[in-house]
Amino acid sequence: MPRLRMVLFWCGVLLLIAPIAAVVCDMPRFGDHPLPYGDAINHDAPRDRHVSNTVSAVNFDYRGFDTLGEEFMLVCAVTGAVVLLRGSRGESVTAEPGTLPGRGLPGRSDAAVLISRLMGPFTLLFGFYVVLHATVTPGGGFQGGVVIASGLLLLFMGEGYRGWRRIMRTPWLDVCEGGGALLFALAGLAPMLTGSAFLQNILPYGKFRDMLSGGLMQIENAGVACAVMAGFSLVLLEFLEETREPEHDDT
Amino acid sequence: MMSILAPLPVVLPLSIAALLLIFAHLWPARVPDAIATLTALATAAICVLMLQRVATPFTYWFGGWQPANGLTLGIDFVIDRFGAGFGLLVSILFAATFVFAWGYFESVRAHFHVLMLLFMAGMLGFSLTHDLFNMFVWFEVMGVAGFALTGYRLEASALEGGLNFTVMNGIGGYLMLCGIGLIYARAGALDFTALSRAIAVHQGDPVVAAAFCLVVTALLIKAAVVPFQFWLSDAHAVAPSPVSVIFSGSMVSIAIYGIARLYWQVFSADAAIAPIFHRLLLAAGTASTLVGGIMCARQRHVKRLLAFSTISHVGIMILGVALLSADGTAAMMTYLIGHGLVKGALFMTAGILLALCGGIDEIGLRGHGKSIWPAGLAMTTGGLLLAGAPVGIMDAGTHMLDAAASRAGEAWVIAVLFFGSALTGGAMLRVTGRVFLGLGPMQGEETHAPTEQEDERSSRPLWLMLAPCCGLLLLAVAGGETISHVMNQAVPAFINPAQPAPSQAFPKAPHPLVPWLATSLALAIAAWDLSRQYMPRRLRRSADTLMRTFRPLEAAHSGLIGDYVGWLVLGLGIFAAALALG
Repeated sequence: MPRLRMVLFWCGVLLLIAPIAAVVCDMPRFGDHPLPYGDAINHDAPRDRHVSNTVSAVNFDYRGFDTLGEEFMLVCAVTGAVVLLRGSRGESVTAEPGTLPGRGLPGRSDAAVLISRLMGPFTLLFGFYVVLHATVTPGGGFQGGVVIASGLLLLFMGEGYRGWRRIMRTPWLDVCEGGGALLFALAGLAPMLTGSAFLQNILPYGKFRDMLSGGLMQIENAGVACAVMAGFSLVLLEFLEETREPEHDDT
Repeated sequence: MMSILAPLPVVLPLSIAALLLIFAHLWPARVPDAIATLTALATAAICVLMLQRVATPFTYWFGGWQPANGLTLGIDFVIDRFGAGFGLLVSILFAATFVFAWGYFESVRAHFHVLMLLFMAGMLGFSLTHDLFNMFVWFEVMGVAGFALTGYRLEASALEGGLNFTVMNGIGGYLMLCGIGLIYARAGALDFTALSRAIAVHQGDPVVAAAFCLVVTALLIKAAVVPFQFWLSDAHAVAPSPVSVIFSGSMVSIAIYGIARLYWQVFSADAAIAPIFHRLLLAAGTASTLVGGIMCARQRHVKRLLAFSTISHVGIMILGVALLSADGTAAMMTYLIGHGLVKGALFMTAGILLALCGGIDEIGLRGHGKSIWPAGLAMTTGGLLLAGAPVGIMDAGTHMLDAAASRAGEAWVIAVLFFGSALTGGAMLRVTGRVFLGLGPMQGEETHAPTEQEDERSSRPLWLMLAPCCGLLLLAVAGGETISHVMNQAVPAFINPAQPAPSQAFPKAPHPLVPWLATSLALAIAAWDLSRQYMPRRLRRSADTLMRTFRPLEAAHSGLIGDYVGWLVLGLGIFAAALALG
């Protein structure tokens, strides 16, 4: 079969050459600027929504419904990963990491602990900064949420598995993940109570270039930050749990 | 009223899924089951309300971003009766599945229900959205939920099937995104109306054709049309049966609905596409119907058999789309709804066998079903409906499709339909006869199941599993007239939402005898297989020779993902070359 497989593949590639060539020759030229959507947003967003980061305006306002979908896609992917990795997992926080027979457990080096303890709080702080300035500077809830989650991972490197596990409790992460996603959905539903459309921005827009500008975007942004932070932490937790020594009472 | 209803079919299941994630660990075990069932029922009610109100398509702009100065900034849903009807089918299937799976998925954190509700929201969003990128978002939500649910049982076979599903659909998602990038580079818009307007200006543009090719290929992969069908039989056979109900009942056919919607509402603006698309889909649909039918008749793993029958029926739906006519589209949609209900019910009976008889191998289970004979009645009904028995929604769809094909001058399609239904129905009736009546004994090695021992938790009584199954069958039998009427009414607004033509009642099939013939052929196929040992040896030998010619077909379904990708690239190449060279 492997030979047949390659024959099929190369026949397909041969057939694709002509169409690809036609598309490449007909693509817009490098530097062409037929971008009506981007121009309109760059012009409108600062005026209509008082935000200077127009990417956030697209993500949370103009095309906020896409982001709602993406948000729940992340929830879905994290839940799916938890389901597929549930094989040998327990909730015990005193568990030992798994070891290979014959291989010793070297202690963490002082340098690793020092760097992690130094960098951890700064990474967390930077993550919060990125989240809070979503409507002003590049970044936002998603990017900031990932930075916070990686800051939390530095706690694992600094404090070891047990210390980390004592901080990261699955139910809390579930609440944070589901709560963030729910907050986004509610931010969409709430305007409907006033007769507006789903996700319509009915809050005051604030001052241009102010951290709190953007109205409803701030709430959606907070929801995304919570969900992303907890989602990534849950995935990291599941991956680390994979290396844990299974216990007898695990199901 | 509509402006309140429009976002709810998607937002309600999303919000409930988030709530379950937060609170499920505090609640008793059965509460998530009840909440999920109620959510699906509520969504069904919303779809019914919408169905009553959208005689003309209703446009809903999220965030209140109506197009201004000729520029579309936001995302919209355009809800017509096709979309609302599809949403209703999805909601009903999910409600039935949640009842069917009552207590089956014991997990502390209700992860199964969260995934299923997100799956449902993805499907509803996909069927209502009117924005290409938003369509991709819901396509991916469906995909991600589907991957995780396929591998739920964590057995080797489930993970392999799940992996094949993930790789193939992952490639599909990637192709779709590339296609969206191309069309956005040309049109500068993503909304269907704006896209169609831009495409009308760029007639015969290779970039538009390439975008069409990529997006439709992604959907053909999801729909499991030949030569992209290989992943389906692996995934549907190993997913937990409640999940297979959804997969075969709606996830596969939603892609066909998507192809029809994209063609009519976006790409039909380019006149160069129609003739090639017509021929390609006719070929792919015919191949799917026959390959699925033949492979179906050769299976003994009941869920794998059902999976191949899905491929066959998907081919029939593709033939309906391929006619590129209003009556063909109405026929496709009617058939799709009927098939979803029947196939959902049949996967439930397979789940009953797994739970109560502890196996899924047809020969291993011979005669084991006698004590649960009501399930046998359900399976017989489903088998007869698949075979084209002259009653119910599938039959109405077949009639409409036959008539549409004759009107389009493609009367040979009737014969393809005929063999597809007879082969799949025959296989299903054979299984029923063997499992529930104990017919068709086998000797020698054949008696041992080649697959690993499979069973599912039997946590619930027979009546609880049978009730949703019978409900679906009842709908499939009783709804024929209503559904075909509604679909005929709905089709003009679907194929041209801007200026719908007046609706008309399309004529029915020219030959009232055809369904009886198909049912008889199915019964004959089943009877032949079950009474082989009484047949003259010479006849048996010639039948075996005939069957041996299909061995390469079986070998092609190797389960090896590399082979599948080879076929995928070949199929994509043929599609692209045909579109480029005319």
